[in-house]
Amino acid sequence: MTAQQPMPRVFLPLLLALIGLILFGQGTYIYAKALLAQVLLEHAFEKAIATGGETKPWSWADTWPVARIEVKRLHAHAIVLAGSSGQALAFGPGHVERTPNAGERGVAVYSAHRDTHFAFLKNVVVGDEIEVTRSDGKHFRYRVDAASVVRFDASGIDPLADGYQLVLSTCWPFDALTQGPERYLVHATMIGFVPDLH
Amino acid sequence: MTTCDEIEADKRSEQPSLIRLVLFFAMQGVAVIPVGFAALFLSFAPVWSAERPPANYLKLGDARSGSLLIRNEEGYADASRLGIDVDLTVSGPTVRARVTQIFRNPTQDWVEAVYVYPLPSGGAVDTLKMVIGDRVVVGDIKERQQAKIVYEQAKQNGQKAALTEQERPNIFTNSVANIGPGETVLVQIEYQEPIQQSGNEFSLRVPMVVAPRYNPAPVVQSVDFRPDGGGWGAVKSDPVPDRDRISPEVLDPASNAPVNPTRITVRLQAGFPLGEVKSFHHAIKTEKPDANTSILRLAEGPVPADRDFELTWKPAAEKAPSVGLFRERVGDSDYLLAFVTPPAVEQTRQKPLPREVIFVIDNSGSMGGVSIIQAKASLIYALGRLQPNDRFNVIRFDHSMDVLFPSAVPADREHIGRATSYVGALQANGGTEMVPAMRAALSDSVGDANYIRQVVFLTDGAIGNEQQLFETINALRGRSRIFMVGIGSAPNTHLMTRAAELGRGTFTHIGSVEQVEERMRGLFAKLENPAVTNLTAKFSDAAADITPVAIPDVYRDEPLVLAAKLDQLAGSVEIKGRIGDRPWVVTLPLANAAEGKGLSKLWARRKIADAEVARTTRQATPEDADKTILALALEHQLVTRLTSLVAVDKTPSRPQGEPLKVSELPINLPAGWDFEKVFGERPRVPATPAERRADTEEAQVQVAALKRAQPVATQAPNTVTLPRTATDAELKMIAGVILLTVSLILLVFNRRQMSLR
Repeated sequence: MTAQQPMPRVFLPLLLALIGLILFGQGTYIYAKALLAQVLLEHAFEKAIATGGETKPWSWADTWPVARIEVKRLHAHAIVLAGSSGQALAFGPGHVERTPNAGERGVAVYSAHRDTHFAFLKNVVVGDEIEVTRSDGKHFRYRVDAASVVRFDASGIDPLADGYQLVLSTCWPFDALTQGPERYLVHATMIGFVPDLH
Repeated sequence: MTTCDEIEADKRSEQPSLIRLVLFFAMQGVAVIPVGFAALFLSFAPVWSAERPPANYLKLGDARSGSLLIRNEEGYADASRLGIDVDLTVSGPTVRARVTQIFRNPTQDWVEAVYVYPLPSGGAVDTLKMVIGDRVVVGDIKERQQAKIVYEQAKQNGQKAALTEQERPNIFTNSVANIGPGETVLVQIEYQEPIQQSGNEFSLRVPMVVAPRYNPAPVVQSVDFRPDGGGWGAVKSDPVPDRDRISPEVLDPASNAPVNPTRITVRLQAGFPLGEVKSFHHAIKTEKPDANTSILRLAEGPVPADRDFELTWKPAAEKAPSVGLFRERVGDSDYLLAFVTPPAVEQTRQKPLPREVIFVIDNSGSMGGVSIIQAKASLIYALGRLQPNDRFNVIRFDHSMDVLFPSAVPADREHIGRATSYVGALQANGGTEMVPAMRAALSDSVGDANYIRQVVFLTDGAIGNEQQLFETINALRGRSRIFMVGIGSAPNTHLMTRAAELGRGTFTHIGSVEQVEERMRGLFAKLENPAVTNLTAKFSDAAADITPVAIPDVYRDEPLVLAAKLDQLAGSVEIKGRIGDRPWVVTLPLANAAEGKGLSKLWARRKIADAEVARTTRQATPEDADKTILALALEHQLVTRLTSLVAVDKTPSRPQGEPLKVSELPINLPAGWDFEKVFGERPRVPATPAERRADTEEAQVQVAALKRAQPVATQAPNTVTLPRTATDAELKMIAGVILLTVSLILLVFNRRQMSLR
């Protein structure tokens, strides 16, 4: 009896600890994946610029880097991937389908998780400069001119709108723990524009 | 036994177990809080996020107009501007302006400040005063290179020094060396400017903002040639890589919002009883201390410096005086300033020649927002004013260019209709390649002498390669006349006036949609009526140095403005010309001239502009032109392309390390400074930014509304669906940590239970 008594008492905490560890591990894994992927992506991106082709960051990847964005003031940068599927977003910001490439007429939209790659968005202020280097080596600079909060299905972004604009999108509010319908948008307009004349 | 024991134990702890339970939850709560924080921290800590306090270092190119950039070892940090005060005194034909800026060095370091600001293009800048801390520094005029050397020397010696340089006739740069931590810098610039007159309306304009300029590709490359901002030593030879600073990157007006609160005071002594006084872009209130003076102030206190201040006034009398003659004696010479408005002679019986009008509209990105609306409205108005026997064409340009019709077409209903819908559909976008558009507008292949050829050029002039445009106009203008229409709240007036002068036309400014009709009507009066041509001026007795040397043609309702330096104030001046096909003569006796102020400076400034024009038109070699400019500038103490104002503090600078008093504004105002009047009723400084923020926010909202209205209304179905962008990582981690904590607590709890037993 004395030997049996402690069993359930120890068992419950151990079970809880195990579940806790698994959950914690999963959470860490998400961050680790996000971090590690960016390192691999940096390499792939440099290669892409050098070779001018679509370079997969690892052999089984179903996406490839399309651009590098940087906000110098915040020392923040990230490699943007093609597409905005959940898988792609785990590794880096995604270039939302059916929006033009950065540097082209219209509104390019990049989207990323508020708690990983676009965590810096909450520190971005109007007037900040966003630099975008495309995988073809072309370099563009944007200046942030507005920020807004919208519903995901009513973004008001017309990808074919006039002007040369960039929108960075992430979930809102930043410090929420659960997923919600609201998105935080940072609107930027190209500056120092040197048009491609051919 | 054990059972008993246990029961006993349980009994004993019946009361405490409740406490324990509460304690347990409390502990859990306490444990969760740091864990939660830790989890939050983890998510924000990754390398790409900014956990460091933002340093706010800027590149020079980020400078908005009038920004004060404080240079330190790591780059440029933005210093907070505390206020701008513009004090204008209009006395008859001239305006004396004193622009005071107050800055604070909020950093802990000794710094050098580099500061960019706009001034009117016709302004003659002759005074620079600066109070740094409690020290007054007054500037001397020197050759630009020399001034720079003096400044650099002082900077190295740790003396306080200030340098004012001209980058464009309407853009200036100040450098201030050795500002101590927490010190306040007061910068005061003074300039003299002639009043503008058109018909019976007099006006003045104070630019508040250097509009971002577009630099065509070849010029942009030089931007990369920026000295490494790394150390003091490396950049000494070029403390101000100026292209970068003169031409801040093209800005969206919405991002230009946080600008500096500005107060404006105008002392208006027009010299005649005043009729309507109007400020187009700012609300004003008027005081009348005596019959001849009106004092105007901004009605709602400080405003953000985001648009030109434009003031017009009319005489109470039905007709404005058509002649004004003013004199000033400086040294051995008399200076004369004459305004003569030729009479509006009715058309002769001959039918006027039909016209060929080429409209050029700038639809570059800088015209976005309200500007393009103004430009389109102006152009559509102009199209409606064409006569059936006129011919016309429309050219639009951004970085590309389109000519609507292969050649000029008759202004019949069909063509006008096509042009109107074409113009109506234009959108503002892209770069500003102005030169090819001007070239196309000036290409006069038909050359039909039965038509008067006029080019109406609508733009904001936001380009950095003005000189290239001037050279194009000079080389290709032929018989065409160029009428510049400046659009927007802060057009490049230097470009407008000089281009109109070279193109023998006029400059019309349209600063708001409400002004379109009135101003365009005025322009058409000029286009449709014969100009006064072949103008000459002759002094009967005095030997005169007249400027402009070749008097330009004068259009309907415009005055002829003449400045001259005379050896004696005697006899008269006779002005001759032709209005259409009729001769016109007017004789002004010099003895009747009224006393004016600062006329010598205006004369010199005008002579310098002549020399710059001669340089452009190759009538003078660059060396000769520069020599003339330099001599005039040094004699009259003016800042020009070749001369700068430099001020070096003679007294030894504060030893480093000595604590400086935290400056409260205004501190130790020296004699001769008019701060009582200038800032007397100013609210406490901290109140100012708040007031201004309210203003800017409102403006921003308006701009935003304008911008957004279109896509939302018309293209809603096209909207992008945004992907999910939150991971459950944080949630999982927090849940995990909570579970771990709970299990840990349970374990500890158990052990204590066991040991208790």
